[in-house]
Amino acid sequence: MVNYGSMTNQTDATLNASFAALADPTRRAIVSRLARGDATVTELAAPFAMSLPGISKHLKVLERSGLISRRRDAQFRPCHLEAGALDGALDWITTNRRLWDERLDKLDTLLADLQPTKKRSGPARG
Amino acid sequence: MAEHAELHFSRTFEAPRELVFACMTDADHLTHFWGPAGISAPRDRMTVDARPGGAFTTVMVNDADGSEYPTNAVFDEVRPPELLIWTESHTGMRVRSEFFALGPDRTEVRIHQTFVPEAFLAPEVQAGFSSSLDRFAAYLAGLAA
Repeated sequence: MVNYGSMTNQTDATLNASFAALADPTRRAIVSRLARGDATVTELAAPFAMSLPGISKHLKVLERSGLISRRRDAQFRPCHLEAGALDGALDWITTNRRLWDERLDKLDTLLADLQPTKKRSGPARG
Repeated sequence: MAEHAELHFSRTFEAPRELVFACMTDADHLTHFWGPAGISAPRDRMTVDARPGGAFTTVMVNDADGSEYPTNAVFDEVRPPELLIWTESHTGMRVRSEFFALGPDRTEVRIHQTFVPEAFLAPEVQAGFSSSLDRFAAYLAGLAA
């Protein structure tokens, strides 16, 4: 059962932080890269035309949101995508998509009922 | 306009645009489809004052266990039969519905759901959100599979 409560209740701070962190295309690219494995700042900076301090700024935002963590002890401090950290954001998206899909299915049925003389063509999804 | 974390939904219905718009703004119609599968949206607990500043309140009730999901929104724009915008008071989420006539009895509805919690109001965030978060979610889900 989808938890519809999660989207109608007060949006929690974690979800806000996740979405805010993911609002930037560079940070989304960093998260995508880290989904394939840990990486150092230098490795993460390589595909971008961006300075190391620039990348570090993005990493700090991601770190504060809890999406990634960095080891304090190791020399190169590899970045690590926190397992499950994206779950809240992904759940929210999935829940909302399903909510509207099911609403629009029902609306399609209603519209057919409201136009009894018309031949039903079935749901046409755009 | 700066883009936020947006979800897009669209669907084409075999019905005139006026009727589809009426379904989205008339509680007697909304009660039949506002709740998704397994969830009711009782007519007597719904307020749909479809004009700018008007209230749009609903309560969805889970048929299985009776749990309730109230939603309070306010209409920002109501332009029959082409545009409907409301903002949820408790989440700050904005829902923009556009209605396009593809023919006399064919209507496409495009829904843009904009997630605008406080954290999004920062200018640097507004500037950055240019691509679909939805696509990103699908991509990450693919990586996780």
